[in-house]
Amino acid sequence: MRHTAVEEWSRGASPLHRLNPVAKLFPLAVFLAALATAHRELPPLGIGLGLLLVTGILAARLPVLGVMLRGGVVLPFSGVFALVSWLAGDPVRAIELVLKSYLSALAVLLVVATTPVPALLHSLERLGVPAFLLTVAQFLYRYLFVISGEAYDMRTAAAARGGLTFRAASGALAVLFARSYSRAGQVHRAMLARGFTGRFVPMSPPRLTAVDLLFATLAAVAVIVLRVAVERLA
Amino acid sequence: MHIPDGFLSTPVWAALDAVAAPVVGFVARRAQRGFDESKAPLLGVMGAFVFAAQMINFPVGAGTSGHLVGGALLACTLGPVAASVVMTAILAIQALVFQDGGVLALGANVLNMAVVGVLAGYLPYHLWGRGRGRRAAIFAGGALSVLASAVLALAELLISGVRMPGPALSVSLGLFVISALLEGAITMTVVSALEGIQPGFVRQPSTGRSFAMTALGIAAVLLAAGGVVFASTSPDGIEQLAIQAGIHKPLAGYGGGAGLAGIALLYVVCLAAGRVTRKRST
Repeated sequence: MRHTAVEEWSRGASPLHRLNPVAKLFPLAVFLAALATAHRELPPLGIGLGLLLVTGILAARLPVLGVMLRGGVVLPFSGVFALVSWLAGDPVRAIELVLKSYLSALAVLLVVATTPVPALLHSLERLGVPAFLLTVAQFLYRYLFVISGEAYDMRTAAAARGGLTFRAASGALAVLFARSYSRAGQVHRAMLARGFTGRFVPMSPPRLTAVDLLFATLAAVAVIVLRVAVERLA
Repeated sequence: MHIPDGFLSTPVWAALDAVAAPVVGFVARRAQRGFDESKAPLLGVMGAFVFAAQMINFPVGAGTSGHLVGGALLACTLGPVAASVVMTAILAIQALVFQDGGVLALGANVLNMAVVGVLAGYLPYHLWGRGRGRRAAIFAGGALSVLASAVLALAELLISGVRMPGPALSVSLGLFVISALLEGAITMTVVSALEGIQPGFVRQPSTGRSFAMTALGIAAVLLAAGGVVFASTSPDGIEQLAIQAGIHKPLAGYGGGAGLAGIALLYVVCLAAGRVTRKRST
């Protein structure tokens, strides 16, 4: 499955992996906002920001080609809209759609590929996202692979029998629902037995160090300087 | 339809993020208060279920297939507030981990699918979920949920200035209607299969028809309809709209009436289709 690659990448040990997630989320927000609000000189700005991301991928010791291809998951969607825009006589918008959606996805991917999802969600709580929502998201991510595995098995079994009819697919989905529901009950009882109080507590709450602050500042400044420079020089 | 980053203009994504943040906070508080803490694992695992359900393909004929979107199914089983939290968590994981939908566009996607989609999906069930038209209401809920989300997303794109010439617009509206009908059919058949396994899975709508719920649901549907009106009158984006505002051109015209009438007509068709399938299956 395609998500295992990101999961594996996020367990690396580069300096970028060791940073506090908040120190990566802040420059990410600056990057996304700087890109989204840019309208002039997009191709050179895109190349500059792209090079910045590639530097990040190299610093994180991740496979550059693999990460860049993985970021391309947005391209089928934006490609269709870009084509429609192009045919409607707006080639500038077409380039803008592809460039912005791809670079934004790549930036998000770089953060997720250097931060394990549980740590990422936990840091979002410190940024003010409702704790209940994040606890739900934590469980969702933990059981995503388990339930997907069951769905995959069901699909394989159905294919072996010659495919599902509409009614049989409904039955399969209902069974998957019932299994997930009862699994949720088991999960909860097992967690209660281990002293679960209703929220996840990390083993060692990460603190923002001087290195984190330095990285966050430098990365954000690099993005802003790049955009200002591109727009001034043009 | 998950909107990626780079599609929405800055006023649109910023405004929708600003609206979505307090709404999500409110819904999360309500869900937490309405349930005991044991529901967090349940909601999370059911979110994983909706994710995994995408793997089960429903044959539609002509070699194509569709899959469950889930907003209406969750609303009928877990209730609308919990469904909204689950859908928000799904969208957040999709945006962060799978780059399916943008991070800046997350507010837009959450409002389209987790808030308006769930409310619109629950409204028919809330109104007619107890009587004879129950199955029809579930069908209509599934269809309305997908239609409202998709139409809102389209409106946001058009307002942001993404070009959609007439033919492309008709094709996408046609696709929306097909996927809406498909979601209605999937939701309805899965709910009845679930009741066959264990009737307790499906919540009965509350006896005293809560006014707030009805009002919110209707507001969600009207918002989607309003989105179409707004977008169809301003196909050239917000710059054009500013010019129009300058010369004071009334918004509600032929396009507005047609948009609303289209939604109403589709709603009736969904209800009727649900009734027919119900008769055939009993």
